Amino acid sequence: MKRMSSSPISDNPYRSIRAEVQRVIPETPTIKTIRMKLTEDLPFRPGQFIEMSIPGSGEAPFTPSSPCYQKEHMDVTVMKVGKVTELIHRLEPGDTVGLRGPFGRGYPLDDFAGKEVLVVGGGVGFAPLRTLMYSLFEMRDRLARLIYRGGCRCPEELLYTDEIKGWGDRPDLDMVLCVDACTLEDRWDGPVGVVTTVLDGIDFNPRNAVGVACGPPIMMKFTTYKFQELGIPDENIYLSMEKNMSCGIGKCGHCRIGSYYCCKDGPVFTYAEIKDFPGIWD
Amino acid sequence: MRYVSRANLKLLLDDLSGQYRVFVPVRKKDSRFYSRYEGSMDDVVIGEVRAFEPLKAFFFPAVEKVAEGFSGGSFPHEKDRPVCIVGVKACDLKGFKVLDHVFGQEDEYPDPSYIKRRAENLIISSDCTMAIETCFCLALGLKPFPQEDFDINLSPVGDGFFVFVGSDKGKQIVERHAGLFEEPGEELSSAQEKSRLRVIREVERNIEEHGVPSQDRYQGIIEKGYESAVWKDEAESCVECGACNTICPTCHCFLLYEQMKGDEEFARFRMWDSCLIKDFARVGGGDNPREHLWMRLRNRFEKKFDYFRKVADIYACTGCGRCISACPAKIDIRDVLRKLVEENE
Ligand code: SF4
Ligand code: SF4
Ligand code: FES
Repeated sequence: MKRMSSSPISDNPYRSIRAEVQRVIPETPTIKTIRMKLTEDLPFRPGQFIEMSIPGSGEAPFTPSSPCYQKEHMDVTVMKVGKVTELIHRLEPGDTVGLRGPFGRGYPLDDFAGKEVLVVGGGVGFAPLRTLMYSLFEMRDRLARLIYRGGCRCPEELLYTDEIKGWGDRPDLDMVLCVDACTLEDRWDGPVGVVTTVLDGIDFNPRNAVGVACGPPIMMKFTTYKFQELGIPDENIYLSMEKNMSCGIGKCGHCRIGSYYCCKDGPVFTYAEIKDFPGIWD
Repeated sequence: MRYVSRANLKLLLDDLSGQYRVFVPVRKKDSRFYSRYEGSMDDVVIGEVRAFEPLKAFFFPAVEKVAEGFSGGSFPHEKDRPVCIVGVKACDLKGFKVLDHVFGQEDEYPDPSYIKRRAENLIISSDCTMAIETCFCLALGLKPFPQEDFDINLSPVGDGFFVFVGSDKGKQIVERHAGLFEEPGEELSSAQEKSRLRVIREVERNIEEHGVPSQDRYQGIIEKGYESAVWKDEAESCVECGACNTICPTCHCFLLYEQMKGDEEFARFRMWDSCLIKDFARVGGGDNPREHLWMRLRNRFEKKFDYFRKVADIYACTGCGRCISACPAKIDIRDVLRKLVEENE
């Protein structure tokens, strides 16, 4: 398997670096972005993840959502779902958190050169894709095309609303956002339906395309099937898998997918790499 | 090959105690436990059969602090002298094949404390001179006497031991203590051979009695048996205690957790974990890829007999039988293997 990066976690892979919360940005009723100032370098690539710790309480894995070239701070966008994420939601500016990583293999951006790149995000899955998108913007002149399709449950759940507006004006990006459902009060003038419905009718050459999906398992599953239906080869379908990552270095055993560890062999896999393993969407 | 008498072995251990914390197997009732050598050879059983605890405990402790605060503290933080473990059996040595793959120097992220202990600790292994009912090492391609991965091996004969050297470290120790070792008498050779053969017979008898298939028949049993009824049947009585994992010399999974130390500092620990426990693979969002107990039981076998074969060309079982004795539900790995092989052939 091709390894995209070697990690700078050097002497002690279990040590966190100290970071200070600078800002807490509410995104949706259940999602917040935490902006942190780091006390040591933690360079990462799109798709790689970090373990964020509430010191003394515990860690949870997140893929940063800020651009890789942004060295002043790091963002993680966190949905409140359990013990650690609940504590993260209670963070305030000035609080101390721990960061460990980066871990794993991100997107092989060099392989994207010359390709038509179709990125599909669902719900909070947009967070890591934001990092990817900024890297793709940076190398935009090397890409044949850049297409973004994003979906979420309702307009209220849309992430980075202000920023996204700016993306809509970019002539070098073909972007469509949709919501599963909306009410009249939402004033939503985009398409309504699950994200796979806005993948139809894109005029592109699937043989020269890569498809990237990140979102809840069910969304990734149907997006993958859609990619296949559109004719994108399995080797060019990139999925960001979510397993119960903990150590990040293939030791603790919690994140196995078939003969891979999601933490070090992933979290980004091509569909070709994992499609034969049972239960990948569970 | 040399010979060391039991009396001289004591002198050797006395001397090694200066450099190492020496652990020896001591018999209590029907089991043998590693216990700190304090200068007495009473109840010390070098031969016999594997100890109750798996060898991994000396290299990958049940609980270990892995980082302190943001500086990391000093890790590995082993300030104590390294350990010398005496009487280690062949099955436990095979555990290194698995643990080295996970934690060792060859891995992309060598584990700092494991590789330190692996480099510094001393292994004085020994032949088994008996088998117990749960032993089935032969099925996993092992002999009941160490052939590799030791520094020194002791093969009990008469009132002493044949001494085999398995590493440079072992060689230096034998050379440094040359006076304690003798040329063995001719007659002892046949005694050693006889003893080894007798133990092999005993294990063969176990294997026959339980119909344990040999490892050359394991290829594909997990893939083909993925939907087998075996998993649900066997999991029926499992109480999810995780004993089978923690007692196993090849199980390496752990849980990372943190604790506050005073107001400011925190420390991170790792603790042996078990894939049988419900939340083992559950993701933050709540989805559990192995919701049912039978899936987790299957996972344990998948990891040992499919995953490790694919990534390291090894079956992650040593035939030590510890999980059989430890399981309160009397789930027997030999039966599971037999059923899977039978269904597969
Ligand atoms: S699976 Fe059971 S018999 Fe095999 S090595 Fe582990 S404890 Fe021993
Ligand atoms: S020791 Fe037996 S009861 Fe306990 S988790 Fe393992 S199989 Fe289940
Ligand atoms: S997170 Fe520990 S093995 Fe992957």
